[in-house]
Amino acid sequence: MSTDTNNKLTIRDLKLWYDDFEALHGVDLDIPSGKVTAFIGPSGCGKSTFLRCLNRMNDRIPGCRVQGDVLLEGNDIYAPDVDVVQLRTHIGMVFQKPNPFPKSIYENIAYAPRIHGMMQDGPDMDALVETALKKASIWDEVKDKLKQPGTALSGGQQQRLCIARTIAIQPDVILMDEPCSALDPIATAKIEELMDELKQEYTIVIVTHNMQQAARASDFTAYFYLGDLIEYGKTTDIFTAPKNQRTEDYITGRFG
Amino acid sequence: MTEHTIKRFEDELTALKEKILCMGGLVEKAVRRSMKSVLQVDPGKAQKVIDRDRAINALEVEIDEMTRSMLALRQPAAGDLRLVIATIKIVTDLERSGDLAEGIADAMLQTKDHPIIHTSSLETLAELVIEQVKYALDAFASEDFEKALDCVAKDKKVNKTFKAFQRENLTYLMEDPRQITAGLLASAIGKNLERIGDHAVNIAEMVIYMVKGHDIRHVDHKTAAALISGELSED
Ligand SMILES: Nc1ncnc2c1ncn2[C@@H]1O[C@H](COP(=O)(O)OP(=O)(O)OP(=O)(O)O)[C@@H](O)[C@H]1O
Ligand SMILES: [Mg+2]
Repeated sequence: MSTDTNNKLTIRDLKLWYDDFEALHGVDLDIPSGKVTAFIGPSGCGKSTFLRCLNRMNDRIPGCRVQGDVLLEGNDIYAPDVDVVQLRTHIGMVFQKPNPFPKSIYENIAYAPRIHGMMQDGPDMDALVETALKKASIWDEVKDKLKQPGTALSGGQQQRLCIARTIAIQPDVILMDEPCSALDPIATAKIEELMDELKQEYTIVIVTHNMQQAARASDFTAYFYLGDLIEYGKTTDIFTAPKNQRTEDYITGRFG
Repeated sequence: MTEHTIKRFEDELTALKEKILCMGGLVEKAVRRSMKSVLQVDPGKAQKVIDRDRAINALEVEIDEMTRSMLALRQPAAGDLRLVIATIKIVTDLERSGDLAEGIADAMLQTKDHPIIHTSSLETLAELVIEQVKYALDAFASEDFEKALDCVAKDKKVNKTFKAFQRENLTYLMEDPRQITAGLLASAIGKNLERIGDHAVNIAEMVIYMVKGHDIRHVDHKTAAALISGELSED
């Protein structure tokens, strides 16, 4: 299943086991560069599992075993010489629940660039913090309270702060697992608009339960069911004329 | 297709289809009756067509309201979305066809003092067009894209027959100037029939979109068939 555009990530025959439970049954997928790709499917079908494979978040889960290839611009991210911490600077993740560090807004952004040795404190760091907050469309709301704790922001602001934190280390790919499920419609709209802007520079992969969100915010959509990738294509095609009956049933609400 | 998880939406979709079929039935009847009034010289039938057009218009408004609320409240996708979109377009074609049938009835009433003498070509044209309308509606009812393609294919013959009728009609006009009024009315009736055929084709094309997801408007028959069979991709 391939797309016309350049592919940022190439996944081949990816299988995953949690102990002896096979959660992914050999998934092939090309994720195009500079686009938003959405993963949809019923609860438990393996969306989060698959997403976590893309920056090796599953490594930490005991009993979890991965087989197959995940290539970032042709390089195997599961190769033995890959530094996982380094990898995650290329492929960042935003989680379902906003999880700012219990530190100042400024520190939330500056922390990672500092420990990765990308930058020392000083005017350059100030500029980086400002740029990241601007790109995440939250600068205007926080510029006068950078010393205040990130946890004191609203849910939607916290989520944008977490996106800014991800952007600050200049990744290639941003993975988002249900980033809007705790947000109200306006905060959600802001994140969706943000994704649209960010895709100029980053490749975005989003897991969402909100079908309308997938339809609105993504360029490509992948439908998963019970550990299989059932259908993958342009979002407009998937939502107007899917090829697979199971996709059709899910998208039109005829599931189960 | 599997039942919709939201039962009420399922019921709404069924009701929408039924309403379209009901409207289609009225339109088909109006076309048939208008031509009967012409061929049997029966002003009573013509008047009936004119009186019944209001029911068709009322259905148009009702169906429009249904599709509007479905788009707003249900956000249909995939096959459901295509059904709603097809419905919005089909309803317009049906309403126009109803008006054209009314136009035929209107013309018939004007033939009182100017009877149309030569009706056999009009009759042939009417048979073809009525069949086209029937095919389009049957295709919608049974979601049968092959029947819809047949309906589209019939248009060639309809156009040919219409042209032949026009040529013939013109000959009568030239032969006998006293026939001019009748000839012009006959010409108007023929033109309306031909346009009803065009609307049937539009409906059939929407049925194909609804069933298969392909837009075959403005492509030739061969390309359309290739699109539908999957030999050709949309872009
Ligand atoms: N840490 C784990 N240990 C064992 N099994 C797991 C673990 N995480 C997920 N699973 C199982 O793997 C399957 C896929 O789970 P996953 O969380 O990827 O689904 P999902 O599509 O993200 O669902 P949801 O939409 O509910 O978030 C499920 O059957 C789940 O129970
Ligand atoms: Mg999940």
